[in-house]
This record gives sequence, structure tokens and C-alpha cells, in this order.
Amino acid sequence: MKTMLTGGLLLLSASLVFAQTLQPGSKAPDFTLRDLSGNPVKYSSLKGDITVVTFVATKCPISNDYNTRMNALYKDYSGKGVKFVFINSNSTEPAAEVEQHAKANFSFTVYKDPDNIVADMFGAQVTPEVFVFDKDGILRYHGAIDDSRNESKVTTKSLRAALDAMLSGQAVTTAQTKAFGCTIKRTKKTT
Amino acid sequence: MKRLAFAFLLTSAALWPAGPARLDPLDEAGFRQLLAASKGKVLLVNFWATWCAPCREEMPLLVKLEAAYRARGFRLVTVSADEPEDARQALEFLQKVGVPQPAYIKRAANDDKFITAVDAKWSGALPALFLYDKSGRKVRSFIGEADFKLLETEIRKLL
Repeated sequence: MKTMLTGGLLLLSASLVFAQTLQPGSKAPDFTLRDLSGNPVKYSSLKGDITVVTFVATKCPISNDYNTRMNALYKDYSGKGVKFVFINSNSTEPAAEVEQHAKANFSFTVYKDPDNIVADMFGAQVTPEVFVFDKDGILRYHGAIDDSRNESKVTTKSLRAALDAMLSGQAVTTAQTKAFGCTIKRTKKTT
Repeated sequence: MKRLAFAFLLTSAALWPAGPARLDPLDEAGFRQLLAASKGKVLLVNFWATWCAPCREEMPLLVKLEAAYRARGFRLVTVSADEPEDARQALEFLQKVGVPQPAYIKRAANDDKFITAVDAKWSGALPALFLYDKSGRKVRSFIGEADFKLLETEIRKLL
């Protein structure tokens, strides 16, 4: 009885230990991503005066529910000088799948984060999850795009509110939000 | 013949997972009441959703854990993070797997506040398991796919 379940329950493993999530007010680290051909791309070459880093997925139903809204955000704010960096850190979603998904759903590029190094650096845990940095690389907003996966039920557009405040030189009122989402599927690392 | 049929019914009832009859709504206040009412038991709260594949995969294993340790004072409580329109699908899944009653579905006005009330460090990522000792103190959180060997060890320590 003592170990009755242990053997049978070993099928699921990998206790996930997450790095501390980057907190508003802290500085953006530089990092390297891979384009979907596998070429390295430095974050410093992608960032702008305001940069939105978004962790996305191909299979997560929540992330996919936001595809239309992410396209709209990209369209609405790119013209205002905001830069967007979309990242897929899921070990379960290879570059070819990410490329195919992006072509079918997005008007922007998605970069791959092999071995979830960037997700660990940011302490990102969910898809979709956004981090917004100002021109000095300081994190000004972290969390959800808005408050409902169902667009018709949205009452607070927290990412848009943060971007609008930053573009008009004002402080972001709500710097951090949470929402139910899929975990980022990390590479199983032996410790 | 009658006796045989009765024995068959009894066996079927014992083997067939009954599952919860309904999903009770749960907000921040309800969650605090749940913790208070569970004192004296080792409690594992499982946050899950029908759209979360790893949540569905680990549910039968959680049910096995509960069955193995229930007599020693262990309880599993599930909280679905599904939207109201998916409540029926969530209930059907729990019934199919044989998850014990009570089972809940979150009905908080604000998900952000609800998530923070459960654990300030939790982002809302699913699956998420929170383990409480008999005094109602949270002793361990498992975010993402759980290490069931570790989970069982922790439960045994608390019983």
C-alpha cells in the first residue's frame, strides 16, 4: 500500500520550477531568439520605444482565442511606433508547426525560443502572456491582453490601456494582471 | 438468480465511477469557506479546465490518489476554470472520470482577484494543484503537469 501508487503514477513527471517572473519596474534583459529558418535574432534589433513581448502557442485554445485580437493590436499600434515581438517557447511545438500556424493566423512573425530560455528569463508561465517595455527597457505592464478569452465578454482591455497611457506619456494605471491560461510547455531538464 | 443480479448490481455500483451530480459555483469567499470547512483533512485543490489537455490527462490519476488515501483523511476538490457555457461539458468529464463530490466551477466577478486570492504567486496557469495540511495551511503548489511521485510523498507526509 505504501508505494502502491508511486509506480503507476510515475508516468507524469517533471516538477516545473519557474524562475521569478519579471516584475513591473525591472529592466528588460537582452536575449536571442531564432527566426523560423533557425537564424539567431537579437531582441535589441527588434525593440523600439515601446515594445510588446508576447508569448503565444499553436495548440493552446486560450492563445488561439486571442489570434484575432493579437492581429488587431499589431495593426493598431505598429503604426504608432510600438514594436511587437511574438515568441513561441513551447517545447511541444516545433519551428515548422509555429511557422505554419503563424502563416495561417497572424499578420506578424513569430520567433522560436528553443529550450524556453527566454521564457525562463522572463518567468513567463502562460500563453498568451505579455510584457510591455518602455524606451529605457523598463517593464511597464505584465499580464493578460484583456479580461476574457471570450471577446464579447471583455470589460477591461488592460494591454490597450497600458499602451495608450505610455503613448500619451502617462503612467500605466494597472501594471499587472492575471488570467487563466495554458502553461508554457517547457523542456524537461535534469537537475 | 435474484441474488446473482443483486450481487452484479452491487459490484457495478462499486466499480462504476459515479462522479459529481453538479458543479457548485465558487468565488473568493467560497474558496476561503472551503478551506475553513476542510480543516482536519489533508486537502488537494485541483484547478483545471476542459480546454486544458494536461488537466484532463492527470484527472484519473488524481482520482486514484484520492481513492487510495481517502480513508486516512485525504480529500481532492476540483475547481473548473471553464466559462459558464462549458459547464455541462466540464461536469460530464468529471462524471466520466469519477471525480468525487463536491466539485466546483469558478464564478468570480474578476479572475485576476480570484487567482490572487488562491495564491498571490500563481499566474493562473493550468493545471494547478494546491496542497493544504490538516490545519488549512498551504504547504505546496504544483503549477503545470505535476510530479505525481512527489505529490504522493507530500500527501503521505501530511496524513
